[in-house]
Amino acid sequence: MITTTLADTKQTTWAEVFSTTQGAIFQSDEDRCWYVNFAGKLAKFDYRCLLKLKKAVYNVNIEEKLLSSAKDPDLEIIFICACDHTYILSILQIIALKEILEGTFVMLQLNSIIHDKLYRAAF
Amino acid sequence: MKDLMRVRSLISNEVEALLNQQVKKEALSSSIYLAMASWCNRNGFDYSSEYFFKQAEEERHHQLKFYKYILDMGGNAISPEVTGIKQEYNSFREVFEDALDQEISVTQSIKKIYALCLQEQDYVTNEFLNWFLKEQREEEYKARRALELFEVIGEEGTGQWEIDKHVGKIKYDSEA
Repeated sequence: MITTTLADTKQTTWAEVFSTTQGAIFQSDEDRCWYVNFAGKLAKFDYRCLLKLKKAVYNVNIEEKLLSSAKDPDLEIIFICACDHTYILSILQIIALKEILEGTFVMLQLNSIIHDKLYRAAF
Repeated sequence: MKDLMRVRSLISNEVEALLNQQVKKEALSSSIYLAMASWCNRNGFDYSSEYFFKQAEEERHHQLKFYKYILDMGGNAISPEVTGIKQEYNSFREVFEDALDQEISVTQSIKKIYALCLQEQDYVTNEFLNWFLKEQREEEYKARRALELFEVIGEEGTGQWEIDKHVGKIKYDSEA
């Protein structure tokens, strides 16, 4: 659990969902959203946009990119419809972001299981 | 940390993906039946054509049931792309053989969703699927009965005309 102060001085508590050396994703219970700290920026994602980001990143065919001998730069534009953020990432960054997202969704699922066991259990 | 994922949706991403696949399958079925209705009409099998028009309507109704369920549970329902519909058939019998194949494939895919829901203990979706399982009993029965007519009546002489007339009368009203 980390505490961060936003620019508008509102005290917000974020919980780290998952992190690697490359970046991290935090959850804000107050704002009901997630903050993705990756590629030098901190971006806010709501439920729908986070799922769209996951889909966009998972849809990149990493193997094909790695095997491709084309001379164009191996950049991928992650554009998410109706979302404020766009990422322009190299293939290594895509791999790193995918790892973060995979970890995040496993942790979110784990969180659901914990909630089921601790707070929603029917006795 | 709040469980923000569960708050937004009752169904898991995996179940949602399979339900969306089913939406597509039902849309495909509806289009296939429409093509069959056209083929039968063009070849003079008016009762069968009418039968397939009704089937096409039913499949569309099933598609919307799945579609609305996904939305009601907080998921993202995806309007499917339907392409590659077979428009020509080699024989009257082939139309009904394909129709039964289509129904079998729908039953199998509903069973697959049911199995995943059981594994995830998603009993809400299981309960929703019960209606479809019962519906598939009727659908497979009707398709199988139509093919049976080819055996018991035979296609010789006025056979095809008799078969066509009887296809319109196929009903399933089991109390079981």
